[in-house]
Amino acid sequence: MIPGLHLTRIGRDAFLLEPSRSLNIKNEAELIEHIARELQQAKASCLYYDLAGLALIDPVYYAWLDALARTMAAINVRMVCIHMQPTAAFALSGFITEKPAFETALDISDVHFAGNPV
Amino acid sequence: MNQKLSEKLSALFGLKIGNISPLLEEPGKIHFGSDSNLMDDDEIADLSAEFLSLMAGLLGSKNPDDRKSPEFHALEMFFASLSHKILMRGGRVEEVVRYTQLLQYALIEALEKDSGIAFTESRSVLHYFTSIFNELIMAVFRSYLEERERVLEAQEAELRETSTPITEIWDGVLTLPIIGTLDSSRTMLVMEALLNRVAKDHAEVVVMDLTGVQNIDSQVSHHLIQIVRAVQLMGSSAIITGIQPEIARALISLNIDLNGIATRASLSDGLKEAFRRMGIQVSHKAS
Repeated sequence: MIPGLHLTRIGRDAFLLEPSRSLNIKNEAELIEHIARELQQAKASCLYYDLAGLALIDPVYYAWLDALARTMAAINVRMVCIHMQPTAAFALSGFITEKPAFETALDISDVHFAGNPV
Repeated sequence: MNQKLSEKLSALFGLKIGNISPLLEEPGKIHFGSDSNLMDDDEIADLSAEFLSLMAGLLGSKNPDDRKSPEFHALEMFFASLSHKILMRGGRVEEVVRYTQLLQYALIEALEKDSGIAFTESRSVLHYFTSIFNELIMAVFRSYLEERERVLEAQEAELRETSTPITEIWDGVLTLPIIGTLDSSRTMLVMEALLNRVAKDHAEVVVMDLTGVQNIDSQVSHHLIQIVRAVQLMGSSAIITGIQPEIARALISLNIDLNGIATRASLSDGLKEAFRRMGIQVSHKAS
């Protein structure tokens, strides 16, 4: 159990990460290690990060997503952000200058098609 | 307000002003009746009677010169509503202003006749009516401007709606033809409408057609790229079509990076690409 997020196995080698309101991204290093360890133990190849509850993504939160995605890439796990809200996409598109390290998709079911590297 | 004027006005109010109502119908008939056909005779008669009743209320009030009194406010509202009604019926503000001026002369003339007082010899009463009617003309103009503003806002909203016609042309495929000049505020509106539609319709591909865009500046091109990025961040694909040579040249000279953005020559090519990405094949029916 990792505080501030739910990690659920979906399918054979994929996990769904649902952050809760109590997620404290100040503990970035500790959180990332926990997640990476759990995914490695389960031999996961894909991590879906559910952004449905996030109306806004600011640079601090983006840095957390970026760090997590880079770590996932290092252990050969594909990270796909799903359910990004229009307001969050609008805010994020305003300040990112390069391609994010994660992929995006409307929903899990769309990943086979989109798996959209931004 | 001096005592003498107040007494004079009260004396006027004491007259049987109901007698002068028909005389006040004349300005209404001239400006709203016959030729212009904005009101029928019954409506004009009602209008004159209502005006007279409100004017009598003002002249008989505690302080007829008080512009904040409920009686004066009622008179202002009467003219504002008249102005609104005439404009809605296709009349012009000039007609309401001329009616108000003519009504002033008709009222003074009728009161002179009824009271036997020559107002040319009583400048204070004349001055009082002139200032009252000036305020009423202002009320007419205020109402006119409010109405114009409301119409312009409605037209702008309609234009915004029609200038961003986002259509779901196929399940999961949105098209957005952009026509005219893109400025920053319009680009923001397009972006807001488009992102909400992507979420609502669960659109997998968005085709933005720029065939109708004639001009683009640095700020707008950045917004355009921002729209594409935002669409991609939501998990959809964006395809830009119909970039005119002038726009393409402008984008390059503005150092806009189109790397990672799918472009196609025409809307039709863009749709083909959208179908290809979705694994849809459209073919002629075998004969």
